[in-house]
Amino acid sequence: MAADPTGKVSKMFGVYDDESGLALRGSFIINPEGVLLNSEVNFYNLGRNIEELLRRVKANCHLAANSDQGCPAQWKNSGDKTLTPGPEMVGKVFEALNS
Amino acid sequence: MSLENKCCSVRVGMSVADFELDTFDPKEAGFGKVSMEQLKSNGKWTVLFFYPADFTFV
Repeated sequence: MAADPTGKVSKMFGVYDDESGLALRGSFIINPEGVLLNSEVNFYNLGRNIEELLRRVKANCHLAANSDQGCPAQWKNSGDKTLTPGPEMVGKVFEALNS
Repeated sequence: MSLENKCCSVRVGMSVADFELDTFDPKEAGFGKVSMEQLKSNGKWTVLFFYPADFTFV
């Protein structure tokens, strides 16, 4: 568990609320190279879904290892079909995912 | 409420600038520090999970 008493890191990530001094419910996924790849910020009263967070971590890990692929909408889990974007995919996404 | 983004907010796709935070690690049962540089040298993915305060549920 980490402490951000000055709010410096919260401000860096855009979750600092300077009226209340609190941080919004933000989750950020950073790759081993230090690039921010994903962000989710909820207002105080909405809890996050950890399954969804894990889904996004898994997807990003998979894509980092397979840079020619994309995770399509509704991708849920490792092993689900991915797409290889390119001109030959135009108009064929449904077919590629459902064949 | 107002949100001030005076500091350059790091945006998706950008490298995260180095930062350092005090930490408590239950496994080591002690205080320590974590920095972005340290996390990068570990070669692992990082999830930063912000929450407003203890006892705010959800």
